[in-house]
Amino acid sequence: MRIEAIGCEPLQLARMHLENSASLEVYRQHGGYQALEKVLTSMSPDDVINEVKKSALRGRGGAGFPTGMKWSFVPKDSPKPKYVVCNADESEPGTFKDRYLMERDPHTLIEGMLIAAYALGAKTNYIYTRGEYKYLIDIMDRALAEARAAGLLGDNILKSNFSSEIHTHSGAGAYICGEETALLSSLEGMRGHPRMKPPFPAVSGLYSAPTVVNNVETLTAVPDIIKMGGEAYQKLGTEKSGGTKLWSVSGHVNRPGVYELPMGYDDMEKFIMEDCGGMKEGRQLKAVIPGGSSVYIMRADQIIGKDVRMDYEGLVAAGSMVGSGGFIVMDETVDIFESTKNLTEFYKHESCGWCTPCREGTDWLVKVFKRIASGNGRPGDAQLMLDLCDNIEGKSFCPLGDAAAWPIQSAIQRFPEDFKRRLISGNGSNGDRVVS
Amino acid sequence: MSAELIKVIINNKDFQVAKGARLIDVCREKGFDIPSFCYYADLALQASCRMCLVRIEKMPKLQTSCTIICTDGMVVTTQSEEVEKAQRGMMEFLLANHPLDCPVCDRGGECELQEMAFSWGNLEERFTEQKNYRPEKYLSPMVANDPQRCILCKRCTRVCDEWMGEDAIEAGGRGAGTVIGTYGGWLDCSQCGNCIEVCPTGTLLDATYRHQARPWELAQTISTCTFCSDGCQMSLGARGGDLLRIVARDRYVNGLNGEFLCIKGRFGHPFVNHADRIRTPLIRYQKGGRLIPATWDDAIQHVARNLDAIVDANGPNSLAIVGSPRLTNEALFALRKFATELVGTENYTATDAFSLRPFFENLGAPLATHNDIRHAATILLLGGEPEELQPLTGKQVRQAVRNSGAKLIVVNSVPIRLVEQSSQFIHINEGSLDAAVFALHSPGSPQGAMEKMGVEAKEFAALQETLTNTQGDIVIMFSAELSPAAQTILAQLPFGLSGSGRVLLHPLPLYNNSIGAHDMGMMKGAMSAAQMLAATGETIRAMYVAGSFLGTQLENNPDALAKLDFLVVQELFETATTEHADVVFPAASFAEVDGTFTNNDGFVQRVRQSIAPVHSSRPDWIITAQLANELGVDFGFDLSASAVFREIAATIPAYADLRYPLLKDESHPVQVKHTQAAQRDLSTELEQLKQLVSELPAEAGKQTVTPDVGHELFKPGTLTGRVPQFPLLAGGNPRPETLRISPLYQITKAIADFQLPGAD
Amino acid sequence: MPLVTIQPLSQPVNISGEAATFSAEVEAEIDAHLAKYPVMRSAILPLMFIVQRERGGYLDPPGVAYLARRLALRITDIWEVATFYSMINTEPVGRYHIQICKTLSCKIMGEPKITEHVCKRLGIKPGETTADGRFTVSLVECLGSCGTAPMFQIGFDYHEDLSTAKVDQILDSLP
Ligand SMILES: Cc1cc2nc3c(=O)[nH]c(=O)nc-3n(C[C@H](O)[C@H](O)[C@H](O)COP(=O)(O)O)c2cc1C
Ligand code: SF4
Ligand code: FES
Repeated sequence: MRIEAIGCEPLQLARMHLENSASLEVYRQHGGYQALEKVLTSMSPDDVINEVKKSALRGRGGAGFPTGMKWSFVPKDSPKPKYVVCNADESEPGTFKDRYLMERDPHTLIEGMLIAAYALGAKTNYIYTRGEYKYLIDIMDRALAEARAAGLLGDNILKSNFSSEIHTHSGAGAYICGEETALLSSLEGMRGHPRMKPPFPAVSGLYSAPTVVNNVETLTAVPDIIKMGGEAYQKLGTEKSGGTKLWSVSGHVNRPGVYELPMGYDDMEKFIMEDCGGMKEGRQLKAVIPGGSSVYIMRADQIIGKDVRMDYEGLVAAGSMVGSGGFIVMDETVDIFESTKNLTEFYKHESCGWCTPCREGTDWLVKVFKRIASGNGRPGDAQLMLDLCDNIEGKSFCPLGDAAAWPIQSAIQRFPEDFKRRLISGNGSNGDRVVS
Repeated sequence: MSAELIKVIINNKDFQVAKGARLIDVCREKGFDIPSFCYYADLALQASCRMCLVRIEKMPKLQTSCTIICTDGMVVTTQSEEVEKAQRGMMEFLLANHPLDCPVCDRGGECELQEMAFSWGNLEERFTEQKNYRPEKYLSPMVANDPQRCILCKRCTRVCDEWMGEDAIEAGGRGAGTVIGTYGGWLDCSQCGNCIEVCPTGTLLDATYRHQARPWELAQTISTCTFCSDGCQMSLGARGGDLLRIVARDRYVNGLNGEFLCIKGRFGHPFVNHADRIRTPLIRYQKGGRLIPATWDDAIQHVARNLDAIVDANGPNSLAIVGSPRLTNEALFALRKFATELVGTENYTATDAFSLRPFFENLGAPLATHNDIRHAATILLLGGEPEELQPLTGKQVRQAVRNSGAKLIVVNSVPIRLVEQSSQFIHINEGSLDAAVFALHSPGSPQGAMEKMGVEAKEFAALQETLTNTQGDIVIMFSAELSPAAQTILAQLPFGLSGSGRVLLHPLPLYNNSIGAHDMGMMKGAMSAAQMLAATGETIRAMYVAGSFLGTQLENNPDALAKLDFLVVQELFETATTEHADVVFPAASFAEVDGTFTNNDGFVQRVRQSIAPVHSSRPDWIITAQLANELGVDFGFDLSASAVFREIAATIPAYADLRYPLLKDESHPVQVKHTQAAQRDLSTELEQLKQLVSELPAEAGKQTVTPDVGHELFKPGTLTGRVPQFPLLAGGNPRPETLRISPLYQITKAIADFQLPGAD
Repeated sequence: MPLVTIQPLSQPVNISGEAATFSAEVEAEIDAHLAKYPVMRSAILPLMFIVQRERGGYLDPPGVAYLARRLALRITDIWEVATFYSMINTEPVGRYHIQICKTLSCKIMGEPKITEHVCKRLGIKPGETTADGRFTVSLVECLGSCGTAPMFQIGFDYHEDLSTAKVDQILDSLP
């Protein structure tokens, strides 16, 4: 497991390899909490928001929404309390960057959250961590206690008149709780069902008060932005998406791990074949899912020799998405029918059951996959699955429905051979039954 | 309600619609069919079934029309290939795991899912996989459950929470494994059955009607509930001579209660066809003898002869006439007429727990309708427990608070469940409600009142402040347990209150026709039922009792009836009253008669005959008219309820401009015009009240525990006691060993086994 | 004839009957969680983990009753939440809950071998518990160790870069 920066000075990963990097002491030795100090002594909340706007930082949770803009949506005049909630639910298959940020550098997250809290006037803030990451919650609690003891958290932070508290909160095994509104329902002690948007959390979120939900990596980027200034940060990346991005790489590469690349790093082929040490045992690259499981799967020939630029626009142009930046690299031994079945089972298991298309659609699709796998595929099945996906995509209550449809649609279109084989050789009844 | 209009374009047609209108409603209003399941106007938005998708220009995806508020110039497409594919797609998903068992489903024929399937389903079924199996079971003696049929629209969980405030049924599990249910699988609640009502599928079912009939075999008759004074409109489903079920489903009936009913209204009806109903007239030829079946003619003649003799010998006042607030206006009117015009006795009454006469005689404001309550700004509840005794009122109050942010102030000696919803709870001592009225009328703590109530003066100050600062309507509700003086002062309260909106009054009497009994003049007699019983054997020699078993009054004075020379009783069942009766007439129940009830909104609503009178029973007013006939007076009712009502309208001012045929539309109930009293000097009443307050015990104390759900609703009465489920619930709603077999069957079987030893 | 009288078959399911009780330390831990939120209900998941830990790995009826009382909720509210989250057990589980990640990255990096090995060794299938109640094996979705696949979690402890040898060594080392 590698953790390293490529093509840029390590920013997010700067302190990863330090001895006992999680401690306040080490963090302060390496410039920790200077950004917070700067903010508290010399910047107004609006200055902070403007800096973040200038940095062209885009949400790292998956949606890629401009963070500065999101912050500016929070109504200043609202009499209600405001909340900053850190989304540390990291449940997207193939994604494990937030985990290491919290494990090895918890204070950066705390500093980032406090800066956000200052910018938005939030007195109480929560870190919603997936329940399985119990050990990370313990690490965060320790770090928070340290910070509190050092006057960096709680009342009159750094002797300023700014007071703000951060609490950890544990989820309990539900991917959907990564979706920001479901996360808020869960944080309120409800079933993790998403909520209607609008109203957006920035206006009516936690306890129907203005709330900003940000991913861990988004918040840990904030201190650097303040330190180096928004423009400098933006320049590390592209005009539309500034700074650096963490990519979690797993699968059949020689050096899986968490890599920090400048936004717009080119190209994807070099990244996989060189930076990540190339394919295991010299086997052929077959497919890559570049943004966590919830994006279009890519064929090797969409990557090899195509200089795919690694940023939001670049990956869309190449036929996929950045998503959460979770690379799942697959070699020739992988049957894309099987891999797609595996992901569909994931989405069925994680569908919250609120809306019809996602609940029934994923259930149905899994049943079809299983039938085909058991050798009873029918020629019409590929078409059927595509049509079911079409009935889910864009019709579900929250984006999980789309996330379930995209992998299947792209897999059937881009790897038809892996499906056809099953459907023709299927020994099951051929053709769909017609009931009338 | 701003009537400002905006323009929306639906399927290329322009429409002017009210600002703030909801798209799905607008589309339907304008005649464009939009399928939906989870959308329910009176419940929180859900947007989960995704059936109502439409295309709106400038919006990236299809939108759920149930969540969209129309904006000016909005361009909507509800009919296009894209939209139809989406809607059919959702339908296909919903049907995927839904069993194809409509032929054995109680809902078959009146199922929303089935109807939608007809218009939005596909001929070709593409789902050929295993359906997820979930076994049928019972959730309670009233509610059967077939989870596999559920489409998770969650209407049930929302009515349970938002209407009933009980939150007893919820969604558990996740994804395709989500089920509607409860912890332990057993439903501990007031058993209102509204979850059954709103379920668009056959998932939640009326266990008492299970597998009894197909909807299309039932003759549906719209009528008015015979239990409490809310007067819910309901549909009686009968086959042949049997009343099989009652629903409020708005495809059948659309009254003030919408689809709401309580346990009594929905499940209390089996007394109608009960084996214990009295079958023929009965005559007891000599005191102490047995009641012997007789023909109607003999019985009527026998009664006429005896009453005649007694009145001749002792004067008209020796005959007391007692009606029941359960009877129709027509029956009560006939009794009143019989008493005052034919016999000429001053001793007549209806055995209500309380007389509202002083209230109505001093009425200072109109009665609040249930709709007024739903939209009131402030609700003041003096005594009573609507959630148990007038459940629809309870629901309206709850929703007024929860959905419309009304302020609720509860003044009660018991922390009733509604206190949860209240913004202020004034916890007064047992029996000091009179003092509360006093305090309301004269702010600035009247002598001793606060002490007697065991509250602080500032609590009432706060109450007064809320009332004066109210923006909108104020509704004052009160249980009838007030002294006449207090009733008078309360009726005049509105004159003292100057809010921004109206001040409305809402009495909470106990019976379905308490108000009618008052209106028909039955409360104007010289004596109350209790006084009559005290005078039996002396001034009162004979009694004519219709539909009333004189409940508590009789318990306090058990052998009163034995002292009578002659007792005539009209009843459904043999009761404490019939024990001493010389003649018993079998009366027809509400399901067997035509007529009207007047509810606590002052609405006069039709009661319609659903089945022919069982056995040889007859409607009460006909019996009275025939008796009059025998005594030589023709009441001229020509045996039609509308004729009786014509005379009611002719003789009772408040009913002057009502016409029986015009009362036919339950969705537009007609309110009687109770004469409004002018503001008057209340010094005498205040004196009386001061007296009463001074007589109150100093340390009455207050109940501190909130009463259990159903403690009143489940109480087995003469009617509901005949329905085995009620005693079962009153006995603590025990959870049977298995939930797969009808709990009632298991219980009754248990009784049978239990009784076997005693058999020989 | 008298009104129908009913002999209750069994006591009504009064779940809020006997509620579990906990030591002062645990109560303090619970108070600490409650103190984090303006709304008590928010603490429902943290409290469920504690109750589950203290009540032998799952929410038994007394545990559920305790939660309802402590959070002033209806028993149904506890049920609806508990059944939504896959980490909250409403049924007993083994002392060691082995959760093997079966999602794509782990799947292609050798999860099937690991699962087969664990199951053979313990003589149970995924979803089952050993007769002695020591082990439960479940296949779970992505646990965020894709870069160190294959992996499983025993209770809350991560075990990554697994090989059959490593699995044996881990299971042997369990007390
Ligand atoms: C089904 C689903 C799962 C998600 N899971 C996560 C997650 O695990 N972590 C996360 O940070 N964002 C997740 N998101 C994105 C969040 O909804 C939200 O966009 C993000 O937390 C906002 O923070 P950001 O602007 O910093 O990215 C998910 C979204 C969806 C629709
Ligand atoms: S039980 Fe009926 S009403 Fe309740 S959610 Fe299911 S289908 Fe809807
Ligand atoms: S009616 Fe609109 S989503 Fe169900």
